[in-house]
Amino acid sequence: MFIRSTQRCRRCLPIRFFNSSSTPLSLSEEVSILVNEYSLKPQTSVSLQTLFRTGRGELLENFDRNGGEAKSARYSSSPEVLMQVANFIHHELPIRLARRIKDLNDVPYLSDMSSVQAVKDIYISSFLSLVQEPTIDSPVREALFARKLELLYERHSSVLVQMAKGAFEFRQMLKNKEISSLEGEAFELMNDTHAFLDRFYMSRIGIRVLAGQYLALREPTMEGYIGLIDQHTSPYGILKKAAMDSSYMCENMFGSFPEVVISGKLDLTFPYIPTQLHYILLELLKNAMRATVEYHGNDPRMWPPIEVVIADGHNNEDIVIKISDEGGGIPRSNRKKIWSYLFTTVKPEIQKALMYGNDDELVDHSVHAPLAGLGYGLPISKSYARYFGGDLSIESLDGYGSDAFVHLRRLGDSLEPLPF
Amino acid sequence: MRCIPESPFRSLGQTSGNLVSPNYYSQRNSFSTVQKEYGQITGVADDVARLIHKHASRPQTGASLQTLMKTGRGEFLHKTYDDHTHDDNSKLATDKILMQVASFLRHELPIRLAHRILDLDRVPHMKEMNSVKQVRDLYVTSFLELLSVEKQIQNMKEEEAFAAILESIYERHASVLVQMARGAFELRAAIRNGSISHDSRLGSSSGRNSVKFDAMEDTHAFLDRFYISRIGIRVLIGQYLSLRQPPVENYIGLICLKTSPYEIVKRAIDDAAFMCTRKYGDSPEVIVTGKLDLTFPYVPTHLHYIMLELLKNSMRATVDWHGIDADYPPIKVVIADGKENEDVVIKVSDEGGGIPRSNMKRIWSYLFTTADPAIQEGMVAFNENVDHSIDSPLAGLGYGLPISRSYARYFGGDLSLMSMEGHGTDAFVYLTRLGNTREPLPI
Repeated sequence: MFIRSTQRCRRCLPIRFFNSSSTPLSLSEEVSILVNEYSLKPQTSVSLQTLFRTGRGELLENFDRNGGEAKSARYSSSPEVLMQVANFIHHELPIRLARRIKDLNDVPYLSDMSSVQAVKDIYISSFLSLVQEPTIDSPVREALFARKLELLYERHSSVLVQMAKGAFEFRQMLKNKEISSLEGEAFELMNDTHAFLDRFYMSRIGIRVLAGQYLALREPTMEGYIGLIDQHTSPYGILKKAAMDSSYMCENMFGSFPEVVISGKLDLTFPYIPTQLHYILLELLKNAMRATVEYHGNDPRMWPPIEVVIADGHNNEDIVIKISDEGGGIPRSNRKKIWSYLFTTVKPEIQKALMYGNDDELVDHSVHAPLAGLGYGLPISKSYARYFGGDLSIESLDGYGSDAFVHLRRLGDSLEPLPF
Repeated sequence: MRCIPESPFRSLGQTSGNLVSPNYYSQRNSFSTVQKEYGQITGVADDVARLIHKHASRPQTGASLQTLMKTGRGEFLHKTYDDHTHDDNSKLATDKILMQVASFLRHELPIRLAHRILDLDRVPHMKEMNSVKQVRDLYVTSFLELLSVEKQIQNMKEEEAFAAILESIYERHASVLVQMARGAFELRAAIRNGSISHDSRLGSSSGRNSVKFDAMEDTHAFLDRFYISRIGIRVLIGQYLSLRQPPVENYIGLICLKTSPYEIVKRAIDDAAFMCTRKYGDSPEVIVTGKLDLTFPYVPTHLHYIMLELLKNSMRATVDWHGIDADYPPIKVVIADGKENEDVVIKVSDEGGGIPRSNMKRIWSYLFTTADPAIQEGMVAFNENVDHSIDSPLAGLGYGLPISRSYARYFGGDLSLMSMEGHGTDAFVYLTRLGNTREPLPI
């Protein structure tokens, strides 16, 4: 069966993926059938706990529970663990990709944008490349699979920015009334498109965590880590790092930066993916610093500090981080906009420059991320928090300041949310 | 400065039904006769049902704080009284204003009551509770009583008679909140005993827990509609009745044009500290910062209710979390506002330990409470006809937060709570500054 689909794909690949014509492409019939077949299979949701227990080998059938502790001290991921994870990914990713491909194909207007079509092509090619892959039954096959997955992971890194381009084009069309002249319709369209992007990005986080976790398990073990997960993630440590990063960025832009005062449970640690937490906290601190500087003027002595509290108690379900600034806040009527992928306060010219800059810089997480000006930081941060069962909320006092609340599940036992 | 007005009608005596003027039901002489006959004679009951349906099919008219102020000032009079030249500065409620407002209420109130009566008829489970049936009867009585008045109130004699009826309705409905709370309590008890899961409409296939959950969700939504509608009805009547009282500086009816959040917060702190001290012997300090000199038009009693509720909760949480006689971390209140902001925002932060995220839904529910059932029963049975008093029997029923949110939402604002488990809770009260949002009107 895999061979048959491989043949199909070879036939359609050259036509489909290197077609430079700008006319909308529809899926070739064979690919369409295959995508449909996979999209109907159920997705399997994982939790942070599953990820690290799998990484430890606890979910292998022959896992020795008594020897588990001793093993986990010296384990570097065993071939058995890697094969187990690789097979899961080999099963799961095509299903998730197929669902996204269908969604990308069906979304109104956005599906016509060339950048969105480019994303769809990336998804199709990755999908086909994964379904061609035979079952992973030996360490050699596993290594080949990993090599392939690494390439896919790389290829997908520009997807966020590409989709942002698509959203930008969509916004322009709405503004120029190329799409809808009816006020209510435009609003509904915005809502639908936002919901689509939310599904897309949430799913993307899941896919990248699964692939990233697997690839990280193959790397030399880092102290306290299982793949991407640091078993002793310290919110305080990450806050300090994020405060340094955002101070650096703020200083570049405004010449100085407001102080950040951190209080609460500074010695707390829990299992989490530090890069995700760093992304969220950096985004919030950047916003808080910019708001403070812009609201209080040029004299750094006038800048009220940004206050951060890390909260936690025994047996709590959540760890909560609050970031409070006195940067003037926003009106309640704007609150919906800060969570939208389709509103931004940045001028269109700047947005364009940000998105159509050097393609080599198209990365999600860098300090110089081109997304910084696109208003994507908050909705993506919220998706990150929600991915492991947490949440991100912002309450704002117009004329005073904002409070951001990051809730993170302490036990990591909540299953990832999987859009349709 | 009179910041928290006493209810202007509290002191007024009960009025008798004899004041009702000749009308639709004139053949039955007075409203009390109607009340007696209703339910006994099927023919009349059918008539009543038809009337209720007719009125429930008419659209409700939402008022905004601005409309209430402008009407009270007489700014809308030129639309109906061409010859009237009114003085913009005059805050006296003239006869014509009173007749205009009375006519509006004569039109609007039966419609709103009819909407609620139908909802009371339809709500599953709740409608079978005794206290809920009583509330329904009360609504029907008031509905019929209003219909007994001529549609257009054309002279001051009619206006006075109408005001007397509204006063008695206002008084009579004071106990409704507690009655409905009793209904919710009865429902909770029925669900616990399992007597409700026998209901065939819900099917036996769904387990008892899902029955419980569905019943809870539906009932909660129903209560939310009911209470927000009740706030609207009471604001309209209350506003009209206070317009009839001698004018008070800076007031138009219930609305204080210069409501000072700081003054109200201070007053609420005193009240909350009194209650906290009475219970625990001590109370945490409260520090208020921000725009202390800010004033804006609002109904001070609503704001006081909200602030008292939040401060009471914060004080109790702080004392419970840190232990009696501990060194309490202060409760912090920030009053925020800027030039041309749409909202006035008040934040109340405590370090009282907070609550888990999974409990957040419960604090907004009318159907969950942490109070002991025995205490609840005692409270609900204690029939005190007041919503707002410090000793309100509702205090232990967990109604304070959802009702406070309804008050905030009524004029277009909101109330949110963010809690940090193991640390404390922040409450955010949003109040629309311009007061130009129309009241939310449930179905």
